[in-house]
Amino acid sequence: MSSIITLTLPGDILFARLASQTASSIARLLADDQQTETESCVFAHAFELAVTEAFTNSVTHAPENATSAMVTVTFLFEQPHLTVSISDANEPFTIETPAPDIESFPENGFGLLIIRKLMDRVIYRRDGEWNILSMSKSL
Amino acid sequence: MIITETSKGDIAILAPDGKLDHDSAPEIRQNRSIIDPDKMVVIDLEKVDFIDDSGLGAIICALRNKRNANGVTVLSGMNHRLRIIFEITNIHKLFNIFDDVAPTIEYLETRQIERT
Amino acid sequence: MNKSITITLPGEIKFVRFASQTAASVATLLISENIPESEGTQFVHDFELAICEAFTNSVKHAVKRDTLQMLTITFEFEPRQLTVCLRDTNGPFTIETPTPEITDYPPGGYGLMIIRKVMDGVTCHRDGDSNILRMSKSL
Repeated sequence: MSSIITLTLPGDILFARLASQTASSIARLLADDQQTETESCVFAHAFELAVTEAFTNSVTHAPENATSAMVTVTFLFEQPHLTVSISDANEPFTIETPAPDIESFPENGFGLLIIRKLMDRVIYRRDGEWNILSMSKSL
Repeated sequence: MIITETSKGDIAILAPDGKLDHDSAPEIRQNRSIIDPDKMVVIDLEKVDFIDDSGLGAIICALRNKRNANGVTVLSGMNHRLRIIFEITNIHKLFNIFDDVAPTIEYLETRQIERT
Repeated sequence: MNKSITITLPGEIKFVRFASQTAASVATLLISENIPESEGTQFVHDFELAICEAFTNSVKHAVKRDTLQMLTITFEFEPRQLTVCLRDTNGPFTIETPTPEITDYPPGGYGLMIIRKVMDGVTCHRDGDSNILRMSKSL
């Protein structure tokens, strides 16, 4: 059986922790039945961090006048995969970005790298006016 | 975020507590000991249970402030989960990382003696 | 800023804690700047309890027990008031239920009584085939 949970919230950095904690709670809830405590913590942390990065990216790349922009976070659980998708109405982007060059002491830009390393599968697609970044990991 | 700051000689030890993310990262960036290019700083991450891109940025900012001066920033006490994030981003290569605060201070004191 | 947050989730009892904890997180986030921490704790607790009771009622009174309904929780925030609405597709109900007779020690039925007690304004209206239970609390 599959479960879908959708969270729509203002694209404001104020809500980044709410989005990521929600992701962590859902991952934890789904993992708890099937995994050890340690495994389920690792699983939940991966989602917490991936959603933080994706949500922060959505907010920071929103056009300046888009104060009413909403970001949608959708969780789809299809045993044993949990997929979280972040949708926003920003400009299209690519996830094929190179990892930041450490030697130049970059102070940001690690978000997508972290997402790719923590998740099993990361897919970006453009649907009309929407960017949809889907990130999956299996229990 | 609560950042406990103690000092030992010329060394400042900053111990942030909680999540080091977009919300709290500015507090690290704006910390006086971090800004001071000559101040030796230990960032004790023992009580940090979460770090994201913004948090990593603040830690790198601390290092950046120091590297052209006599100051130095080292990290200590990070848990396994944080360690993984430092490793997957390669940021661990930029820092001297210790398991605990005590050896970190020892290291800095040795450096200090070498310098004088 | 568009001041609302929406969550859609399956009407399953396993999500009740998630729903009420999310309500608590939303309340904590939104009131933190407006009221002192001592009052804030009580406010958040009341909010959490109201959602817990309302969500449980919606799950318990589901019409078709074999097919899962989706429940929608909406948070709306104004400077001095926080409102949460719960939408379900159950049969119509009224909130004007009598308070359970305490001397009979009834095992349930306290939900609405608790909600009315901890929230400042509670209304229920029918929208097509949905019930919308609206609960507000002033800061």
